Formats: sequence, structure tokens, C-alpha cells
Amino acid sequence: MTSRLGDDVTTDPSPPTLHSDQSGATLEKVMAPTTRSTSRRLTTMKLSLVAGLALLISACAEDKPLNTFEPRGPRAEAIDSMMTPIWIIMGVIFVLVVFGTIAIAIKGRVAPEDYDEDDLPVQTHGNFNLEIGWTIAPAILLAVISIPTVQGIWELEETNADPASGECRANADGSRSGELDVMVIGQQWWWEYRYDIDCDGFFEDVDGDGEIYGPNGAGGDIDDTEWDINIALDDDDLVIANQLVIPAGEQIDLELTSRDVIHSFWIPRLNGKRDTVPGRLHTWSLEANDPGEYTGWCTEFCGLSHARMRMSAVALSGPDFDAWLDNQLQLADVPTEADEDVWAGYQLFQANCMSCHVVNDGNLSYGPLVDEDADPLDLEPGTVKDFEAALTAGAAPNLTHFATRTVFAGAIFSHYAGLDADDDIVDPGEYLELSVDDGNPDGDYRLNEAILKRWISNAPDQKAMAPDDLRGMPSFPALSEEDLDHLVAYLATLD
Amino acid sequence: MAIIEEPLALPSGDEALASNPLGVFSRPRNATGLKDWLTTVDHKKIGIMYGMAAMFFLLIGGAAALAIRVQLATPNSNFLSADQYNRIFTMHGTVMVFLVVMPIGAAFANFLMPLQVGARDVAFPRINAFSFWVFFFGGVMLNTSWFLGGGANGGWFNYAPNNGITYSPSTGIDFWNVGLLIAGIGSLTGAINLITTVINMRAPGMSLMKMPVFVWMTLVTQFLLLFAIPVLTVAQILLLMDRVFDANFFNVAQGSDPLLWQHLFWIFGHPEVYLMILPAFGIISEVIPTFARKPIFGYPFMVFSGIAIGFMGWGVWAHHMFVSGLGPLSVTAFSVATMFIAVPTGVKILNWIATMWGGKLTLNTAMLFSIGLVTQFTIGGLSGVSHAIAPSDTQQTDTYYIVAHFHYVLFGGALFGFMAGFYFWWPKAFGYKMGEKMGLWNFWLMVVGFNLTFGPMHILGLQGMPRRMQTYDEAMGFAFWNLVATIGSFILAVGTMLVLVNAYASHRKWKAAGRPDVGPDPWDGRTIEWSIQSPSPEHNFDVDPQVSSLDDWWHRKYAEDEHGHLRRVATAEELAQPGNGEGVHLPAPSYWPILLAFSLPIIGYGLIFTLWLCIPGAFLLVASMYGWSLEPADDLDIPHDHGHDDHQPVGAGV
Repeated sequence: MTSRLGDDVTTDPSPPTLHSDQSGATLEKVMAPTTRSTSRRLTTMKLSLVAGLALLISACAEDKPLNTFEPRGPRAEAIDSMMTPIWIIMGVIFVLVVFGTIAIAIKGRVAPEDYDEDDLPVQTHGNFNLEIGWTIAPAILLAVISIPTVQGIWELEETNADPASGECRANADGSRSGELDVMVIGQQWWWEYRYDIDCDGFFEDVDGDGEIYGPNGAGGDIDDTEWDINIALDDDDLVIANQLVIPAGEQIDLELTSRDVIHSFWIPRLNGKRDTVPGRLHTWSLEANDPGEYTGWCTEFCGLSHARMRMSAVALSGPDFDAWLDNQLQLADVPTEADEDVWAGYQLFQANCMSCHVVNDGNLSYGPLVDEDADPLDLEPGTVKDFEAALTAGAAPNLTHFATRTVFAGAIFSHYAGLDADDDIVDPGEYLELSVDDGNPDGDYRLNEAILKRWISNAPDQKAMAPDDLRGMPSFPALSEEDLDHLVAYLATLD
Repeated sequence: MAIIEEPLALPSGDEALASNPLGVFSRPRNATGLKDWLTTVDHKKIGIMYGMAAMFFLLIGGAAALAIRVQLATPNSNFLSADQYNRIFTMHGTVMVFLVVMPIGAAFANFLMPLQVGARDVAFPRINAFSFWVFFFGGVMLNTSWFLGGGANGGWFNYAPNNGITYSPSTGIDFWNVGLLIAGIGSLTGAINLITTVINMRAPGMSLMKMPVFVWMTLVTQFLLLFAIPVLTVAQILLLMDRVFDANFFNVAQGSDPLLWQHLFWIFGHPEVYLMILPAFGIISEVIPTFARKPIFGYPFMVFSGIAIGFMGWGVWAHHMFVSGLGPLSVTAFSVATMFIAVPTGVKILNWIATMWGGKLTLNTAMLFSIGLVTQFTIGGLSGVSHAIAPSDTQQTDTYYIVAHFHYVLFGGALFGFMAGFYFWWPKAFGYKMGEKMGLWNFWLMVVGFNLTFGPMHILGLQGMPRRMQTYDEAMGFAFWNLVATIGSFILAVGTMLVLVNAYASHRKWKAAGRPDVGPDPWDGRTIEWSIQSPSPEHNFDVDPQVSSLDDWWHRKYAEDEHGHLRRVATAEELAQPGNGEGVHLPAPSYWPILLAFSLPIIGYGLIFTLWLCIPGAFLLVASMYGWSLEPADDLDIPHDHGHDDHQPVGAGV
């Protein structure tokens, strides 16, 4: 059995994870010295062990963007460091109990040929003191562990000072002071992020009556209101999708909710997860120590494409973040007829995409209000359902600054190619450079047109969706290859 | 439908009283073959049917598990589409929990518990048959969804509002809902039946603290079922109203809070976890002392820790909801409560180890599976503590770490215990032992395959791999351990199948050898089920056994000699009841349990497809209840010369 295993390894060309020179040397050693079967078996065994270990180590050393043992923010670090001693205690108990049991089993074994029915072991019925001891000892241990646990539970709930304290986040000149609050809205199967830019502490007009409700029910009790699942927007704020951008080194308070089913927001290197539940607002927070991109994944089963609902959070240094925010607050450019391709794309976008997607270029029409229950796909081209749909579109990501993001479609695709051969993750120092209009289309940052075109023409083929039930993007078989080129040309201007 | 038979002439020559009101069948008689199995009320046959049905569902659930593992073996695999994957993982969980682990527990409870308390049958034999058939039809109905629009796709926990018609328009969730509602009725009636049996029908002298640990665990399990199942039923009725009759219990737009479903589901769901594991705890509490040749260490602690688990199990449900936004106060309470439930479980582990300590151990298959439970459940218990710590759970919940945890508890725990039970009580049920050689392969392949499959999932989970994922990217670094787990799962599948192969092969061998008698007590057992012949005669005990101590049967075989040495004083053959059932009165079989049970899925299909179908279903339901109520209370062809005392409830001193 073992020799066969070993042979497999020797005949196998060195595993891809081994450096070729290393494995070559080991192989020579194996082949050269002896033909005696026992020692050969031994060396092949050794070799398989080495190869196995190398495989193991390389598997462990690989980059794991979601690894919970590599915290990069204070909350995740707090959880991680609190658990370290507990992992050790658990490890010790594991070794004692499991190997102790195995040792007792081996020691007490009586072979069938030695079995003597009159040779009975001492008939112990129990030992009260011992048993009380091993009832109380674990209870004490757990009581000790419960102290940091309870502390941790309450610390994780802490948010910045009252968000409606009047401290402004964005000054008139675009610079920021004070804390940032972001609302996170899950839906099938992507994320929307809203930044409270106008410093009023509010995000949404819950029932569309002009009365707005702030975080933690400030401005009214959310439970008293009939919850409109299409959360309306405080129109001075910023709405983006799929990629969350935050300043590094600052705690960002999150308000989480959902438009449809329950999702869970989780960026493991920055913090644990919290569910986004429709009809409820949950608070959570996020902080990254350093600039970088941090990936996440929806962790509550949310239907068909749950596996393709991921997140990306980019942390930028303070000045970079301000520059990013400044750009995001600009209206999108309205194309001119001079640029034929882009103009054609703009027309196609208005005809095909505007009933769900929004590009806020200052020309949004807010009305007239049409039937709330109308299927967005049945609307006349260029009209939108109502005011709130005008900004959120209710069903699809806001694309105003689409080209400044690196991911789309629930953060499963990167629309920039040539960043780094096999790495989709953007160097945050270059994040602000993401633009296709910089006159260098062959440079580092090139819009991945093929992947975008594939997506636009037949999205359900790229990601499982149910567009017939208004969940996800339909396919557009009527769009020609040329139409797709035009659409992508227009999208590329949205920076 | 005319299955009416003329009563046979009584041996006494008396004429039987004609008691056949309109439409009422007389009881089936002298049934053999299929008819015997369909109409039986014998607790042993019903127990065996529970086991066989569970094995059948195990094949379905296991095939689903392998499909999941093949899909996840490589990144971005297209072996299963997202929709297929969602249905398959949902059905895997549902089938394994409701149609495999729970019914195997019921199989042991049914077959064994009456034998261990010295009873002829359970308290309500017809209800016992009804419980089985309701469970079976509910399970079959649930699985017909594969052919009628696809299995459920909301996860076994089926959270609102994703379970609503808006987000899950296909009928899969209706099958899940109605199928489990029906199966739940069986669990409920079964629980009442078995509780009554334990309380009322113990042999003379068997006080509560002389009951075998397995009987105790069965009692606790059935109480958990009795209170847990109705909570699920309530949730499912609300969901049924939502999906079929447009109610708004879980409609967020109408002001509902989706966390209501989570609370209801987990108030059921957590006791459910304990009612799946406690029967296995009971089984190995019988196996380990037998093969260590020592009494169970600290019997009272074993009993009371089991009861403590049963009580504390009700106070920890919200640990499934630590990240769902309960607020820190609730999280604190449930976090601390969850940690402390580790105490009684730890006591059990240490008491089993202490039972083995200093024993003279026979390491046969049953014993190895028991030791496997002790070690692997310990791993599951330790990982359980790590997510009882709520802050840590915010990183772990809904990742593969949890998948690893509950498989260590339910597969490494419950199923390993059940395997021990199969090997241990097989001769009592079927009259022959399963082969030890294949048994060892069975055990070692399962241990290796199990740890290769679920061990790596700890690593995957802590590396951030979420659950219920149809696929993942290469860049996430999950590929290696997923491949290992997939390889392990096939080893595990082969290992698990060996128990069926072993049963079949050993039976053939036994038949070829002319069906040699395995004897009443092949393992030198401790409890009174070993005092009757193997396979156990239909009437169980010739006369009511008198019980004077815990492990009563063992104490009849062993006693101190004049030098104070404990010695064998009698053989099992000398002491065992000869299996002479002459004159014993047994409950007669009946058509009504299976007919009544069959009416429920008809109504169920009606709720899903067309309400008109509910009418014939309801008609059969009412007709069966009528027939059941008016059925002749007794079979007339057996004289009552044995008197009535043999089947009177025996009030054992408590």
C-alpha cells in the first residue's frame, strides 16, 4: 500500500508547487544509491512525505484574501487576539482527551485469545468527588472564558459618537471632517453603498413622505413606520454599488439593511459579519489599518446566486479618499454628438438600461410617477418609476461613476485587465488613476471590454439570475456587436 | 377494498362475536410477507422498518453529499448549476436530519427500549405503526419533489423571507414544508407513545434509577421531540398560510419581522440537535460497559447530565443567530448559556473514558465505533465552544468551520454511535452477528474518510470559505483542501456502504451455514434484552422479568464466590427465557395506521397542486379514523387463558 503510494509520487512529474531544481535533486537522490527494495521503499516514502509536506505548506502559504487569521483592522484584530489563548486551551484539551482515549483503549485491550470470562476488571461504579471535580473544573474554565467573551460582544457593538451630532463630514469646499457613516443595502445579488455626505445623519426617506429617518431611529422610530422595501434616498447623498471605498485608519459606522431577503455583510480581514435583514436597520463598523483592497462574501444564503454575491472594500489614505469622494460627487459627463461612438452608446443606454440603471448626469427625470407595481422592464424607454427609482433604480446598481470601480456584477468580475497577470486586486496607490480617458489605452489600466460585452449581451449566462422574476439582469440578444462596442465606449466615460 | 376476512373459528368452539359495523375491517390475521409488514404493530418490526427507511434515505442524502463534493472539488466547477446546487445542498441537509438521523434514533428507540424495560410492546401499538407510516410517507413525499419541479432550494433552515413565494416561486419549498409537517406528526405521536411506555410499562422492580442509560436517553429525547416539533409545526403552518393562501406572516412589506422565522426555527432546531445525539449517547453507554466489562462510570452523573442537556438545550437557540442583529444583551445571554451546555456534555465524555479506564477491553467493531464517537464528538464539542464565544462566531458562522463542527457532532457523533448500535444489537434483531473482519474495514474506512472529509473544513472555514456556495474562485485559495475533502468523502461513502454490504454478506454466510443459533447473549451483555432468545421472539418475554438492580442481567450471571472473587456463576443459556410464547396475548395487526397515514400526503399534494385533491384525502382521513375507532378491540382467535396480568401496565416503584 505504502510503496504503491510512493511510486505514484515518483512517477508523477514534480508537483507544480515544488521548485523544479529542488524536486530534481530529491529525485536523483532517490534513484541513485540503491536498488534494495526495502530502502527504496523507505526513500520513496520519505519522498512522498516531502512532496506532501511541500504541497501542504504551499497550500497554506497561498494568498487567502478571506483568511480570518490575517486581520487587517482593529475589530478583526481584537477578535483574533482574544481567540489566541482559547485556541491554545482547546488544543491542549483536544490532545489530552483524544490521545488519552486512544491510549486507554490500547492499554486496556484484551486480545480475543486472552479473554477469560472470570478475569474481571475492578468493578468501579464511579467516584463522586472525581465526577464533581470534572463537572466544576470545566465550568470554572468556561466562566473565565466568558469574561473576554462578554467584553468582546459589547465592544463589537460600539459605534462612533451619535451620528446626528451635527459634526459635519463634508465641508462646503469638499474636504471632510468628522466621521463617515455608510449605509449598506443588500439585494439579490449585489451591494449598494450610500454615503451620508450632507452631514444630516440621515440616509433615507423611508415611506416617501419627505420625512427622513436617521441611524438608530433618529428622527423617528423606524418600527412605527410601514417599511417601504424600496428605500428612498436623501438626494444629497452619494450612492455607489459593489465596491465600498473607505478612508484607512478611520472607523466607519455602517447601517445595514436589505431590499429583499436576508444577506450578511462580511469582510473577514476587517471585522466579523452582520446580517442585513429587510425591515431592520443593524449597526456595524469597519476599519482598515492600511490602504488596500479587502474582499468579502455574502454569508447568509440569499437564493439562486448566493455564491456570486461578493464584496470588495478599498481603503485609501485620507487625502486619496477625499480626492475620490470629490470625484464621486461630480455629475457624470453628458456626451456630445461629436464623439459618435459614445453618443451612440449613450442613446442605447437610455433606450435599454435606464429603466433599471441610473447614471446621474443632472438630467434625471423624476416623473411623472408611474404605477409602483409596474414592471421596470415594461416602462417606456427613458422613463423611470418614481423619484426613488430615479436614484436607486430599485433593481440595479447606480452606474454614475462606473469606470472608477474595479469590480461589477456582485464583485465577481473585474473590468480592468492588465493590472497584474493573475491578480485582480488593485494597488490602492493607483486606484485613483483608474480611468480609460488618460490617453493611454494600452497602459496598465485598460477596460476589459470583452468581459463587459459578454455581460451586457447575456448576463444570466455569466451569473445565475432570475430576470423573469425581476431578480437580476436580463439578456439583450437584440444588441449587435457594434451596439455593445458603443455601450462599452459610453460606460468607459463614466469616471 | 374488500379485505374483510371471516374470523377463524375459535379453538374453544365458541362463536366469535360479530362486530363488523359498516365499513370496518376485521383485523388482518395470519399475515405473512408484505402484508405482515404493512399491517404489523410489532415494535420490533416497526423499529426495523424505521432503520430500513432511514438507510434508503441515507442513499439519497449520501448521493446528494457526493454531488456537492464533486462540485466543490475544483474552483469554478460547472458540474452542478447554481440552481441544482442550491436544491441539492438543501435536500442533503433536510434528508439527513429528518429522514436519516432522526429515524435511526427512532429505530433504536422502537426496537430496543421496550426490550430494555421488559415490555411486550409499546403502550399504543397501532399509534406506533401510524408514527412510522406517517414519517415514511412524509419523507417519500418530500423526495417526490425531485420529479415534480425540483427539490427545495431554501436551505434546511429555510429562512424567511427567502422561503416566501416571491423569492422562491417553485414548489420545492412547498414539498419541504408539507412533507416535514406530515413527518412531524409521526415524531409527535411517537414521542407520546414512547414516553408513556417508559413511564408505565417497565418491568417489576425497574425503578427509574435502574433503567439502562439508553432508556433514559430515549426518554429525554422523546420529551425534546414532544416540545420541539410543535414549534416547527407552528412555523411551517404560518409558512403554508403565506405560500398557499397569501397570508403575510413573513411579508416584510406588510410589517413582519423575518427574524420571527429564525426564532421559531431554532427554538425547534437546537433541541433537535440534542435529540439527534442523545440516542447515540445512550447506545454507547450500553456498548462501552459491555466491552470494558465494567459498569458505566457514574451512572447518576450520566443520567443527570443527559437530563441537564435536555433542559439547557432550550436556552441556547439564539446562538444560531449571533450575527442576525439580536442586540448585545441577547447575544451575551445566549453566548454564556451555550458555553455552559459544554459542561454536561464534557461530563459524559469523561465518564465514558473513566468507564474504559482500567477495563479489559474487547476492541471489536461496536466498541471501536463507540470510541470513535468519544474522540470525534470531543472535536465537535471543542469547536462548538469556539463559536459559543459570540465575537469569534462573527468570523465563523456560516463558514465551513460550522459545517465541520456539526458533521463532527452529527456524523462523528450520532452516526458513529448508531453504527456501534447496529453491530451491537444486530444479533438480537436478526439472529446473526455481522462479520468482524468487514466490520473493521467498515470502521477504519469511515474514520479515515470522515476525518479527511470534515477535518479540512475547519481550515477552509477559518480561511473564510462561506457555506452554501455553489462555487469559488481559484484566487481565494480554497482549492487544495476542497479537493482533499472530496477524496475523503468518497472513502467515507465506501466505508459507510460497507455496513449494508456486511449485513448482506453475513446473512448469506449465516444462511449457508444452516442458520446457527447465535445464542441469547452473544456479547456477555448487561441489560435484560440479552435474557431472551436471538432473534428476539415476537412476544419478547415469556414472563415479565423481575429486575432488582441496574445491569440486572449481568448480575444474574456474575456473583462473588466464597472467596469474595467475582466469578461467572451461570451461563446465559441457563438463565435465558426459552422463548415459549404459548398463550401470550399480543396486540393484533391493523390496516388503519397505514391507511390513516396515507391520507395525509394526499392532502399534502392537494395543498401544493390543487385544493380539490384535499377532498379525497380528507375523506380517507375521516374514514380511517372511523375505522380505527370502531375496529374490534382485540383479535378473537386467541384464547385469553394467560390471564390479563401479562399486559397490564406494571407500576414499577420509582
